[in-house]
Amino acid sequence: MRNSVNRPPTPDAAEDLGKEPMFQEIINIKLIESGEKERLMELLRERLIECGWKDEMKALCRAFIKKKGRNDVTVDDLVRVITPKGRASIPDYIKAELLQRIRAYLVQAAV
Amino acid sequence: MATGNPLYANPKLCKHLADYKLRHALSCYKSLQNCLKTTPNGRTSIYRSETKITRCCSCNGYQGRFLLCLICSSISCSSHALLHAQSENGHDVAVDIERSELYCCLCSDQVYDPDFDKVVVSKIMMDMPNNTHVDDGIRRSSKRRKLNSLMDLDLKKSKHLVLMRDRREKSCYPLGLRGLNNLGSTCFMNSVLQALLYAPPFRNYFLSGRHDRETCRKRSSDRLCLACNIDVIFSAVYSGDRTPYSPAQFLYSWWQHSANLASYEQQDAHEFFISVLDGIHEREGNGRIPTKDNGDCQCIAHRVFSGMLRSDVTCMTCGFTSTTYDPCLDISLNMNTNNLSSIDVANKSVRPNENSTRCTLSACLDLFTRPEKLGSDQKLYCQNCKEKRDSFKQMSVRRLPLVLSLHIKRFEHSAVRRMSRKIDWHLQFPFSLDMTSYLSSSIVRSRFGNRIFTFESNEADTSPEFEIFAVITHSGMLESGHYVTYLRLRNQWYKCDDAWITEVDEAIVRASQCYMIFYVQKMLYYKANEDWSCTPMSSRKDPFFPIAGCC
Repeated sequence: MRNSVNRPPTPDAAEDLGKEPMFQEIINIKLIESGEKERLMELLRERLIECGWKDEMKALCRAFIKKKGRNDVTVDDLVRVITPKGRASIPDYIKAELLQRIRAYLVQAAV
Repeated sequence: MATGNPLYANPKLCKHLADYKLRHALSCYKSLQNCLKTTPNGRTSIYRSETKITRCCSCNGYQGRFLLCLICSSISCSSHALLHAQSENGHDVAVDIERSELYCCLCSDQVYDPDFDKVVVSKIMMDMPNNTHVDDGIRRSSKRRKLNSLMDLDLKKSKHLVLMRDRREKSCYPLGLRGLNNLGSTCFMNSVLQALLYAPPFRNYFLSGRHDRETCRKRSSDRLCLACNIDVIFSAVYSGDRTPYSPAQFLYSWWQHSANLASYEQQDAHEFFISVLDGIHEREGNGRIPTKDNGDCQCIAHRVFSGMLRSDVTCMTCGFTSTTYDPCLDISLNMNTNNLSSIDVANKSVRPNENSTRCTLSACLDLFTRPEKLGSDQKLYCQNCKEKRDSFKQMSVRRLPLVLSLHIKRFEHSAVRRMSRKIDWHLQFPFSLDMTSYLSSSIVRSRFGNRIFTFESNEADTSPEFEIFAVITHSGMLESGHYVTYLRLRNQWYKCDDAWITEVDEAIVRASQCYMIFYVQKMLYYKANEDWSCTPMSSRKDPFFPIAGCC
């Protein structure tokens, strides 16, 4: 079948270790090296506390621990349980703000 | 801390951590201390050079939680920590890089070690600029406040009053429940009086005759003494007569005391409460009764209701904290307006609608003790940086009173928009309240991250566990509302609506719109309940008859 779209071949899972860093990784490296990531993390923490997200997560953890019993829960369990709900409940305006900051940073870093 | 949570002081070490400590003692903790990086807001992390990206040694991943092995310093992500521990013998214990917390790779769980936390905390304190408040907590020897003060409020002396019960009393209501007539929009006064009549230490003081009206009148030339008037009310209410009582004398005295509030208009119950306690203090305190060594006023109002709040203002740049202590008669709480639920995720705004609001008292207390970033127009002068800096403020409770009065701020006054409104949301409140996490010792501890580290404090003398005994609710609008008090006596709730007292189910109390909530220390609550018997020794087994005023 003719390839109607020019597409590079799907990479094999086994070849991942030796691959060139993906775009996402490059951005991450740039953010960390310049210290911008630290600032963004602080901003994110502040916003999530302000909007009550942290309290929500705390309540979810408490409910889970109550159900399972205090001695049967590990931190990893808690992380596993609240991660999907946590990711889903982040307000849009916070995502927008962070995206905006990252874009602004990349623009001025590319120059 | 005798009453503290024992897990805080003695966490159980997993066997891997215990082994590690046996083999390596504390040398590794100490060497780790040099790599710790602290920030003004208390987060401590392991210092990594700016340019090095943290990568897992097994999967080369750069995302997630990273753990540094304490033996070989290799870094693993949380999914591969177990792999590392299994492949290398003895490399069980690691530390979370971002949070400086211990993790046992074989148990796959966080573990706690007071020795480790001691090392971390001493590093944080070394880095802090001149923080005197921290030293206070550690160096000061705890002055044990004599529990004898509680013995003064002991009820044994007043037991003889119980026996002189009026024979007219037929109902099996507890002693003292008596309706108060409304003298013209005075439900705000009646509701607060009912709560005061049942505050165990306050009640015991007056019923055991500690405020002597005779000597009080002789001592002062003018007749005005709010405590005397309250004493009259106590005698009247606990006389056994169940007909509704009119506290006219008290109202008149109070008008004289707070002339600005003297009118037939509806007043705010909370304002009234504070003004009554002030009135009692003015007459009883102020040199009338000698104060104790630590300067605490010994008037009955303060002995029962006064606690102390601590306010810490921290500079965001350098971490310097200045601490002030303020006495308080009650705690006013803002309602937690930031509630998220998954339904609201779709909404752009964060304001909750009425249905999905889940306001709870603990959320309001969390809000009260949460570090609040002061706006950029409120920059405070930092003594360390020698200039105005952005800062954040955090409140906590340094000393709990015997009776904890919580005031929910439901009336919002906006000076900008020149309007006032009432917040009608329902607030969920517990019948048993544990104030441990709002105490200064807990709040200060939490600033160091997730640590097992006990600060010595003076709070060990008063237990942080409280039981509810009264709720004042407000219904209606801001201008024309009605106050009702619910009292809990021996696990039965009574509704005190001016002159009418009825038994109600606890579900009704939970569903009500609370405005002021009164908690008393658990020990005093149970003592009060067992000493005062409720049922009269009646030979006939008939149910209670309604008496006029008690329906």
